[in-house]
Amino acid sequence: MSEKHFSVLRVPLVDGDKDCRQVTRDICAPLQVGPTRLWYISFAAAVTALLIGVTAVTDQIWTGIGTWGLNKTVGWSWDITNFVFWVGIGHAGTLISAILFLFRQHWRTSINRSAEAMTIFAVMCAGVFPVIHMGRPWLAYWVLPYPNPMGPLWVNFRSPLLWDVFAISTYFTISLTFWYVGLLPDLATAAREVAEPWRRRLYSWLSLGWDGSQRTWSHYEKLYLLLAGLATPLVFSVHTIVSFDFATSIVPGWHTTIFPPYFVCGAIFSGFAMVLSLMLIARRVMNFEDYITLRHIDAMCKITLLTSLIVALAYSTELFTAWYSVNPYERFAFLNRIEGPYHWFYLVMMTCNVAVPQALWSKRVRTTPWVVFLISIAINIGMWLERFVIITVSLHRDFLPSSWTMYHPTYIEIATFIGSFGLFFTCFLLFCRLLPMIAISEIKGVLHHARRAPGDES
Amino acid sequence: MHEPPQDPFNAGDSLTRRDFLKLLSTSFAALSLVGCKLRPPKEKIIPFLQQPEESVPGLASWYASTCSGCPAACGVLAKSRDGRPIKLEGNPDHPLSRGGLCARGQATVLDLYDSQRLRTPWQGASPISWAQADAAIIAKLKKSDAIRIVSRTVSSPSLLAALEKFKQRFPAARHIVYEPLSSSAIVEAHHRTHGQAVLPHYHFDRARVIVSFDADFLGTWISPVEFIKDWSANRRLDKERGLMSWHAQFEPRLSLTGTNADLRRPLKPSQEFATLAALGRMVARRVGWQGPLPPEEGAPGVAESLLEHTAGMLTDAKRRSLVVSGSQDPDAQMLVNWINVLLDNYGSTLDIERPSRQNRSDDAAMDQLIEEMKRGQVSALLCLDANPAYDHPRAADFVRAMGRVQLSIALADRKDETAALCGFLCPLSHSLESWGDAEPVPGVLSLQQPLLSPIFESRSALETLLRWSGQSVSAYDFVKEHWRQNVFSRRKGKQGFTSFWDEALRRGAVTVAAAALPAGRFVPDALSRLKPARRPAKSGDFELVPYASTALGDGRQANNPWLQELPDPMSRVSWGNYASFSPGDAQRLGLEEGRVVRLSVPGRQAELPVHIQTGQAEGVVAAALGYGRKNAGPIAANHPMVKMLPLERDLLGGADLYAWLKTQTVSVTVTPGRSPLAKVQIYDSLTDPLMGQKRPFVRETTLQEYVQDPRSGNPEVPEEKGLWPRHEYKGHKWGMAVDLNSCMGCGACVVGCQAENNVPVVGKAEVRKSRDMAWIRIDRYYEDDRTSFQPILCQHCDNAPCETVCPVLASVHSTEGLSMQVYNRCVGTRYCSNNCPYKVRRFNWFDYAHQDLVQNMALNPDVTVRSRGVMEKCSFCVQRIYSAKFQAKQEGRQLKDGDVIPACAQSCPADALVFGDLNDPNSRVSRLARDSRSYRVLAELGVGPSIFYRTKVRNRRV
Repeated sequence: MSEKHFSVLRVPLVDGDKDCRQVTRDICAPLQVGPTRLWYISFAAAVTALLIGVTAVTDQIWTGIGTWGLNKTVGWSWDITNFVFWVGIGHAGTLISAILFLFRQHWRTSINRSAEAMTIFAVMCAGVFPVIHMGRPWLAYWVLPYPNPMGPLWVNFRSPLLWDVFAISTYFTISLTFWYVGLLPDLATAAREVAEPWRRRLYSWLSLGWDGSQRTWSHYEKLYLLLAGLATPLVFSVHTIVSFDFATSIVPGWHTTIFPPYFVCGAIFSGFAMVLSLMLIARRVMNFEDYITLRHIDAMCKITLLTSLIVALAYSTELFTAWYSVNPYERFAFLNRIEGPYHWFYLVMMTCNVAVPQALWSKRVRTTPWVVFLISIAINIGMWLERFVIITVSLHRDFLPSSWTMYHPTYIEIATFIGSFGLFFTCFLLFCRLLPMIAISEIKGVLHHARRAPGDES
Repeated sequence: MHEPPQDPFNAGDSLTRRDFLKLLSTSFAALSLVGCKLRPPKEKIIPFLQQPEESVPGLASWYASTCSGCPAACGVLAKSRDGRPIKLEGNPDHPLSRGGLCARGQATVLDLYDSQRLRTPWQGASPISWAQADAAIIAKLKKSDAIRIVSRTVSSPSLLAALEKFKQRFPAARHIVYEPLSSSAIVEAHHRTHGQAVLPHYHFDRARVIVSFDADFLGTWISPVEFIKDWSANRRLDKERGLMSWHAQFEPRLSLTGTNADLRRPLKPSQEFATLAALGRMVARRVGWQGPLPPEEGAPGVAESLLEHTAGMLTDAKRRSLVVSGSQDPDAQMLVNWINVLLDNYGSTLDIERPSRQNRSDDAAMDQLIEEMKRGQVSALLCLDANPAYDHPRAADFVRAMGRVQLSIALADRKDETAALCGFLCPLSHSLESWGDAEPVPGVLSLQQPLLSPIFESRSALETLLRWSGQSVSAYDFVKEHWRQNVFSRRKGKQGFTSFWDEALRRGAVTVAAAALPAGRFVPDALSRLKPARRPAKSGDFELVPYASTALGDGRQANNPWLQELPDPMSRVSWGNYASFSPGDAQRLGLEEGRVVRLSVPGRQAELPVHIQTGQAEGVVAAALGYGRKNAGPIAANHPMVKMLPLERDLLGGADLYAWLKTQTVSVTVTPGRSPLAKVQIYDSLTDPLMGQKRPFVRETTLQEYVQDPRSGNPEVPEEKGLWPRHEYKGHKWGMAVDLNSCMGCGACVVGCQAENNVPVVGKAEVRKSRDMAWIRIDRYYEDDRTSFQPILCQHCDNAPCETVCPVLASVHSTEGLSMQVYNRCVGTRYCSNNCPYKVRRFNWFDYAHQDLVQNMALNPDVTVRSRGVMEKCSFCVQRIYSAKFQAKQEGRQLKDGDVIPACAQSCPADALVFGDLNDPNSRVSRLARDSRSYRVLAELGVGPSIFYRTKVRNRRV
């Protein structure tokens, strides 16, 4: 073992000099031992938050959407802000698994599984809001173009909200499929690792009879590659279409052609921030420091920094265009963000999304987990505020000054937002305990001995 | 108790299938009411323009009647559906109101269904039958040696005749008239200057120059609808260019009339006398007046150059000018009379030969009555639809003195503040349930016909007085007989009585000859002895101005949810009273909107939230009358309308200012409390606060510039090209023209729309959250010292931004250009509302179901009641379009211009809204749309709005 020779150009992706058996044991460990106290505490907190949200939503559906703070001028606020926020977070997963896969970025293997899980849970959270924000959520199925006896009544294919329905549901389906397909070999591995016969049978059943043969592997790799190709355009399409909700409208501050790239980039930015937050906790709590190394953190920080710069460019382009257009409503809408009654939100947003990430230029910052964690939290806050600023601050003062109002959230809206975090973390914590958090089979492929230079015999 | 419903047209016949269905439907309606009944009146009533046999269930009938909202007695047309009156509109055949009806008048239909109304007579705490009540009261009246009847202005000649009959039977009876919004000072002044205690009949239509000192004649003063009709006739630019009237207003607070004036200056009440005297002297100098002059007391509150200008304008328009004042000080009113005499206006713009009977308040008589009562000299007091325990300035004295009256009887519709003190409560029928008449001005008479039998065990005042006078005649027979004897003889034509009577019933109003009173000659002697009644406040104190608000008036309809929710035209505050301060005073006291202040004089104090009012005189605090009612019902007390919200009993909104009517100055203390105002408009200016750019939604010019260039102030704006192909409108294309010059912001359209379209009332808590539901609103903007009003309703865009974004096609376009909302398809995403640049869409945040089941009877069955979670908005009264089409089809003709009139346009007293077919090049709306003043709001967005506004033209000479 001491005579290993590695290429100096290839930094190891996994620390601790693991062999394949060790990898399996490490990653399947959480499936076999009972949960830790920390997990129980976190899970209790997550379920509590979820229940708070369930209570709030029940109350809102029972008594009416008037329990929210919306009014005749501001028809959307926290609901759609949360929706865009969660959809944005749901972006990093597919980006990491599909796009980085196609670009052969091997470092993605340590984080892709949990990033994809995060995507699925975030899209679930996002999907809740368009349904519950409706005045009559029990009729939400009317947005689907299904054959019906009411005429038949069709849906409005010109409405961006309808495009959303298709975009989000497609994205969710593909992400789920991609994630599940990626899980197949690991489920087979898990089926061998766990002790109880019923769990063995369960994992085995879930692995769809994986036999590890050459043929299976070959099919699997082809399918995975195809799915990656299929998922890649979706990364761009989903948030492009979400941005159409605003871009195709006539509200000053929404009616902007820059929105599709701006939103996609913002989504990747916020998604990476969320992956960072989660991974920094997970590597510590689950003892995965050897798998999710500082080099992974460093790589993700670089992407975050890049997207932050693009977002900053989008912000300034937006301001420039408003000024350059000489459109008084457009100019006012942006000035109102900066100087209007909600100017604090804009200031905090700019600080969190543009100023704070600049710290990531420093390698020392990028490799200091707790600093990165704080930065990632700041970005999450900033990106939530960005959506609030776009949605609410544009709406509250539009064309006719007689209709200008202010918006204040109610405790029901706050509780619903907390509830969405509850849903997310409940799912994520269950995922940590029940499924291999890191793609075992892919990690084995990037261990040192697998990446040995040709002719390097030991 | 419950008689079966009677069909007046088939009495005695056996039941036909149709009658059976009618019976069935009315029985169901009756079942929905506990302890009340609903049936047509027993007597013959004649529908307007329609034969009785056409009165089919499901089709509306219209009956002409008289409004009972205030003593101005406008003519109304009452719409009846399936035996229920559901809407009141102005009667175009009425010579005074000419089709206009104010917000308060239109809201009286809801008072009919007020569940707070008395349902049976009461003696003390026990309900009794009418027979018992009649017997007991007559017996007691017989024993009384001093009977006093207190009523508000009675403009009904029949009721006056019945009062005479009553006085014949009980010679100890005396009738005292008082009005909460008194015009007693004007009457008193004419008594002193002309020897005639009369209230002149004003003719604003004949006046080319109008100068008003705190007379809110477009809002609440004497006969607002009539005055709006008269005034707006001279504000239109359709026919004669450059011949617009000039209107100056000097007043302490910004009134509706003041906002519409060409020259307006704030003036403290204490300065009014001196200003009037100064103006009078200037006019006197110009006309060469030789008589005595009023004393120079104090300095005028208006710059001398402005007064000189005003005096010049007045003198130039001699005999064609009018000076009015709302002052309660007879001395100030005498100055007004003097100026009008100088200008030779009597006989032209003021008529004292055929004076107005719309306000007959006699304040002195009322004061005397209270003294008599205090001394125990009144043995029986009959309060006939009067509520002095609430709305008299000496209400507290009155309440104490009531204790010394042995027999007190209230004829009231509810257990109001006065009725609560009375031994007998006799429920009063609503005007839609009883026969009556009105003669607001000599020679102009209207009939009041019932549309249904009393819902509760109530009787009209006429019936009750007749019964007590020992007359066994019904109210109908009495009115008819009175008309046969007193009105018929004055008719102008030669028709027989039956046809005269039928014609009067059908048309609602008749004009007959009226004897002129002798024209009093002006007696100038008193001029030099005049002195001002109001003194300036000492430093730090404020002059108090209690006023009648446009929505609530004198407060008799305080329990009417439509009126409580109707925002004040200027402050845009609904639900509750507030104290208005000028911006300067507010800054000095460190006040912000909603801060609670305490107004106090020794021995009395009131707490009110603050409203900061542009245009208000410095050193003046103004607050509305008509609030703070304790016994009117839960709406008057501002209880929440929506069950699920936390109970919000906001008593702060309800200070009663009547007790302060005689108070001149108050001191103001700022308290730490806060009570946010329920404002429907928070931002007041068209100029944005960050860039200072004025948004061109209200375009305006001056008369002088307009004469030079008809397009002045109305530049062409290029429109954005659309991506979609334009809709084609092959048949009709509905549109509306709104004349910003005529619209004076009264809000009649708002209530008219609410009644027609079942627009829910949401209550104070919801309005505070900016969730008012009005489909048409009147935006008000301040720009320097100018105020503009702009009615905004759905613009029915050709390229409606709301329609493209709805995912479920609940928002769709009609082939006739209507932007339609399909309520039962709506899932409530609110995307359409976000994308509406006019913000006219309204969302049902809760189930705003009317909790008052009786009030639900006023719902229009032609319009869906929307459930929660559904978007709604103006439909251009699509139900009226279809019923007009249906009618035209039945008559085998094309729809013609003017067949379709939406509720808002119908109710507009200023005729500012014109609806019609834009595809018809000869329709009124098409011609107005092509006018040089015509523009569309935000047309540059390319949305293609169907509403054409016309620039506001101000006659600004100074």
